[in-house]
Amino acid sequence: MTEKNKAILLSISLFFLLIIVGEIVTGNGDRSKANMTEYEILMGMGEPEAHVPGPIEVGKLAIKELSHPFYDNGPNDKGIGLQLLYSIGRVMAGFFLAVIVALPVGFLIGMSPVFYKALQPYIQILKPVSPLAWMPLALFVIKDSIMSSVFVIFICSIWPMLINTAFGVMTVKKDWINVSKTLEMGSLETAIKILLPAALPTIFTGLRISMGISWLVIVAAEMLVGGTGIGYYVWNEWNNLDLTSVVFSILMIGFVGMVLDSLIAYTSGFFNYQE
Amino acid sequence: MQPKFLHIKKLSKSFPIKGQKDPLVVFENVNFSMDKGEFVCIIGHSGCGKSTILNALAGLDVPTSGTIEMKGLMITDPSLDRGVIFQNHSLLPWLSAQKNITMAIACRYPKMDRKNIEEKARYFMEMVGLHDAMDKKPSELSGGMKQRVGIARAFAIEPKLLLMDEPFGALDALTRGKLQDQLIEICDRTQQSTFMITHDIDEAIMLSDKILLMSNGPQARVVEAISVNIPKPRNRAEIVKHPAYYKIRNYLVDFLVNRSEEIKAQLINNTISDKDFPLVIDPFKSSSSKKKVQQ
Ligand SMILES: Nc1ncnc2c1ncn2[C@@H]1O[C@H](COP(=O)(O)OP(=O)(O)O)[C@@H](O)[C@H]1O
Ligand SMILES: [Mg+2]
Repeated sequence: MTEKNKAILLSISLFFLLIIVGEIVTGNGDRSKANMTEYEILMGMGEPEAHVPGPIEVGKLAIKELSHPFYDNGPNDKGIGLQLLYSIGRVMAGFFLAVIVALPVGFLIGMSPVFYKALQPYIQILKPVSPLAWMPLALFVIKDSIMSSVFVIFICSIWPMLINTAFGVMTVKKDWINVSKTLEMGSLETAIKILLPAALPTIFTGLRISMGISWLVIVAAEMLVGGTGIGYYVWNEWNNLDLTSVVFSILMIGFVGMVLDSLIAYTSGFFNYQE
Repeated sequence: MQPKFLHIKKLSKSFPIKGQKDPLVVFENVNFSMDKGEFVCIIGHSGCGKSTILNALAGLDVPTSGTIEMKGLMITDPSLDRGVIFQNHSLLPWLSAQKNITMAIACRYPKMDRKNIEEKARYFMEMVGLHDAMDKKPSELSGGMKQRVGIARAFAIEPKLLLMDEPFGALDALTRGKLQDQLIEICDRTQQSTFMITHDIDEAIMLSDKILLMSNGPQARVVEAISVNIPKPRNRAEIVKHPAYYKIRNYLVDFLVNRSEEIKAQLINNTISDKDFPLVIDPFKSSSSKKKVQQ
């Protein structure tokens, strides 16, 4: 058996193991009126109530939700697909705004030691700030919860992009710079023809980190500002004490995060080069 | 008087050393000149500053003092008039072999149209025998092939002066021999003025009209300029039969093994002067000029 097949087999076995263990630990099998005391039934414990759902319960909900993911029955009842799309839209908007700012500034920092030294303190101070700490300020200035979430995504994804772009540009091989010099290329031509393709793999690493952070942050941001989005959905279901939906959304958040990450990894494949 | 094709005057390079008052003087009072169409090699032990001199000729490095003039004009910046072949090919890995060359041609001839640029690239790829490998990325080529693309790229911009820093240093002996033969053929045909650093004595004799010898660093000098009076075109099998060949070869070996270090010591002790460096010497003709150095 090849290594790959072994891994697949192990993965599948783990999946079933998790389901079985999940079922046993959550103990859903015992939750029927038959083996409750009269007292418990009187206390309403026989009624559906908040409990950690087992895998099968989550699976049933998943099938139900995913068979019509985009329904919209008003503010508090939207399909999970719709909610995810809201979140993805905000992440994309913030992310691409950040790209537009981070790439040119990253090049400037990477190409000019003066700019590097001048901007370094600002980056060092702003970078470690939790993106959510910007939220009150954003809400006050922008006065719109959706745009504020977009801004928070922008501010959290800009740092890895900026730092990786600057680093990628700064560490371009001296030989390649010398090639551009001996060919009498100007700064702009060098940036486009030499620095950009040379630094792209490093830049993409930054983009990937930024996208990862954005997806982490959007859930928290939407919990804070409410309205729409997967973060709001999770929080809403928690308020309804519908933990099955909460567990289901956790899985969906993970799945979408994985897809976003693979998209960037796939795109970066076109710009990688081998020395 | 017409200015020399290339004229290096009183060139020196020093680097400040941390915590010390005096800087490290890598080389000083380096003087030499080169004619159009001449092939000049420079030989010396590692660290004497050969690459630094070549980079200064390219305009990539600034000497501490002294001047470099090409046809009477000072060299201060890199220029398309001077093509450089670096030791480690320095091809751009994200471009195919052809694109590496067309990019250089497009820089040299900004007004040339796409079709002519590609035709020119093909011509120079054919010149180094690589027209099959046009679309390959550098990572898909062997070390020798990469270096050949580098050579094609440098020739494609048709520089007035070609600079090569140990172009074959990283290659195996067999590949090196092949590339040397190819280079000889191309240089003979194009009359390309070339300045080359090498560690390989036989390579230097095969290719050069003139070989510059450097004493050991620090405070290295270009001590002698050896004339290689062996008719061109040369080939590997014939050249060893020429009576001058072993005279020159032995002279070079002796210089590298014994004299480069002796001269360094004599310069430090002030027992010789570098006033007349480089002495022009033809090891085949005379042994008299050699005495001058040993006085
Ligand atoms: N940036 C630098 N700082 C200090 N010393 C340097 C620097 N660059 C080169 N050198 C010194 O200059 C000397 C000459 O280097 P190089 O020109 O590469 O020699 P070669 O090509 O003859 O082997 C070396 O001894 C090296 O240590
Ligand atoms: Mg060197």
